[in-house]
Amino acid sequence: MSARERLVRIASIDGLPIAAALVAAAVFFTAASPFFLTGENIRNLLIQSVFVILLAAGMTYVLIVGGIDLSVGSTTGLSAAMTLMTIMNGAPWPVGILAGIGTGVVVGVINGFFIAILQINAFIVTLATLSIGAGALQVITSGTQLTGVDSETFLALTKGNILGIPTGLVITLVIIALLEWVLLATPYGRSLFAVGTNPQAAFLAGTSIRRANFSVYLLSGVIAGAAGVLLASHLNSVQPGLGQGYELSAIAAAVLGGIALSGGRGSVWRSLIGALFLATLSQGLQLVGVDPLWFNIVTGASIVIAVAFDRATQHFIAGQLRSLARKQSHDISGGGLEAEALRSPAAAAPIEVQPAGAGNHEITSGARNI
Amino acid sequence: MSTSSVIGISSTRWGKVLQNPSAGALLLVGVLVISMSIAFPTFPSAINAGNVANQMVFVLLLALGMTVVLITGGIDLSVGSIMGLSAGVGAYSINSGAPLILGLLAAVGAGAVLGLANGLMITRLGLPDFIATLAMLGIARGLLFLWTNGVPFIGYMLPEYYVISGLERPFGFITVPIIIAAVAVLAIIFVLRKTSFGRHAYGVGSNPHAALLSGVPVDRVKITAYVISGLMAGLTGMLMAGRTTTVAPTMGLGYEIAAIAAAIIGGAALTGGRGHALGAVLGALVLSITANAINIAGVSSTWQQVVTGSVLLLAVVFDRASALLRERSTRSAGRLAVT
Repeated sequence: MSARERLVRIASIDGLPIAAALVAAAVFFTAASPFFLTGENIRNLLIQSVFVILLAAGMTYVLIVGGIDLSVGSTTGLSAAMTLMTIMNGAPWPVGILAGIGTGVVVGVINGFFIAILQINAFIVTLATLSIGAGALQVITSGTQLTGVDSETFLALTKGNILGIPTGLVITLVIIALLEWVLLATPYGRSLFAVGTNPQAAFLAGTSIRRANFSVYLLSGVIAGAAGVLLASHLNSVQPGLGQGYELSAIAAAVLGGIALSGGRGSVWRSLIGALFLATLSQGLQLVGVDPLWFNIVTGASIVIAVAFDRATQHFIAGQLRSLARKQSHDISGGGLEAEALRSPAAAAPIEVQPAGAGNHEITSGARNI
Repeated sequence: MSTSSVIGISSTRWGKVLQNPSAGALLLVGVLVISMSIAFPTFPSAINAGNVANQMVFVLLLALGMTVVLITGGIDLSVGSIMGLSAGVGAYSINSGAPLILGLLAAVGAGAVLGLANGLMITRLGLPDFIATLAMLGIARGLLFLWTNGVPFIGYMLPEYYVISGLERPFGFITVPIIIAAVAVLAIIFVLRKTSFGRHAYGVGSNPHAALLSGVPVDRVKITAYVISGLMAGLTGMLMAGRTTTVAPTMGLGYEIAAIAAAIIGGAALTGGRGHALGAVLGALVLSITANAINIAGVSSTWQQVVTGSVLLLAVVFDRASALLRERSTRSAGRLAVT
């Protein structure tokens, strides 16, 4: 393997740039502030970021099928309000959790109905449900004070520990692992990639586009509901405007992880790294003494850099593969299967859309399994 | 279009009306005005009409720019932030001694520059429209917060500014912002219908690849669209700065949602190639009348967002139904033509 081939291999590893950026940020802040790499700080950082991590995981599913869900932030806020309201009205805490997740189910079903069944643009539908959800939260919170739940078990959801790890983090990691497994190892998960890459081909291969679309919005709603329950337990109070902007953080996390808005690409762990990167930036900048007002600008700039970098990398990979193929087609001794695959222009072309490498494999095997 | 109007449902007058992309908005305006007029005698008054018109100016101007961007197949999430930052630039210029007209120009210019930055990120760096303008939403808002340190701009209200912003009304309820908005509507109608940019914009939105192959300067068209949107946002920011007499760092927060909603209700489509200036007027009118109706009906203003979202949903469902109707009549016309 030539150095050039090795470079192409390294450049096509999934999620490498954002992982490198996360490590670089962590190293920088550790060097800049003695408080960054302390147990207490890492603990705070992780607890505060579980909400965006969860939403970004749900968003990953939606982005993979080529959709978008702008309503997750307001659903999180509304779900938190429903949870607290239910418990404050005397219901036991599990009923409160059900109320929160149920809120997510309702929003998810509404989104899914309009997007998958009536086939209305996802951006507009979820923009409308964002508005309705945020408005409903305002209506609920305008009359009553939602705060001061005293159920120890409910508050322990985020304040307690399991084996020394915060309970909320454990719950989040379990959900994340489950979502990643479903996405990468089940026929259902692979069918989502097929739908996102080429809906028509997926349809002809026997995948129900409608079901795939409906399911991701339902899932995203349920995840937002769960995030709301955790947020209610974490804050133990709900204000109007709660959750506002979380949808943008979730999308930013997914995009930073290298997930394309055009669909067909992505994995949950990449969004996780993206979310952790955002959390590290925000926490680190504060520790270093940078005005938190900078955070918006830094986030915006890092999104631009990440996407521009991702595009340049894909361009580089496609160009290198093409020139390698040209070189090897001149080189008679360099035959073999690999060169054969590289030589045909068809092999280089889809790579521009699907640099993930594993993507093509997933689609074919997904189609076979359905 | 000619085949679909030959025969079938589209040949009836109702069919034709229902197939117009702005039909839903027009119907909504009609239903709202009639039902509100019957229920509340104070609704159909000149004073109230003036209130509605003065309220809708901001969303209307933003929706005009958004419509142009949507026609080219893009989206501009940054208009709310650009509005705030441009208003800050204008207020700061006036506070540092610039005459009013220079302050206004500085604000509009700042909006155009930020729009240009959007356009360059999208065409030169190849970022998706959504991502580039999302980043600008964060960056412009962050800059305003950082610049003001969270403290609003005040003390820039020169005497003439009260007239320009419509706080003083020498001509009755026809205020200067209403006149500015009317001029803007006419200008956008002219630009979209009579200039090569306008025709190119529809081409780029319908099929960018075909447009490029036909020699349309796709990148320049896209950049121009974002500059127009930024310019409108700057203008809106300046009018709002005059109306509220302070520029808070949160000025314009969330206005992108109202602007997109108004443009879409007015018949523009996220898929590009569709939309017109009068549609933006209708869309802004729908939002403004519902807000006014909620107010007059004595419903708590906390319901405002719920109603806006529901109206948006209703409008797109109606649009979807009308598109299906259009498709069916085209198909049945095609079948009849074959036989």
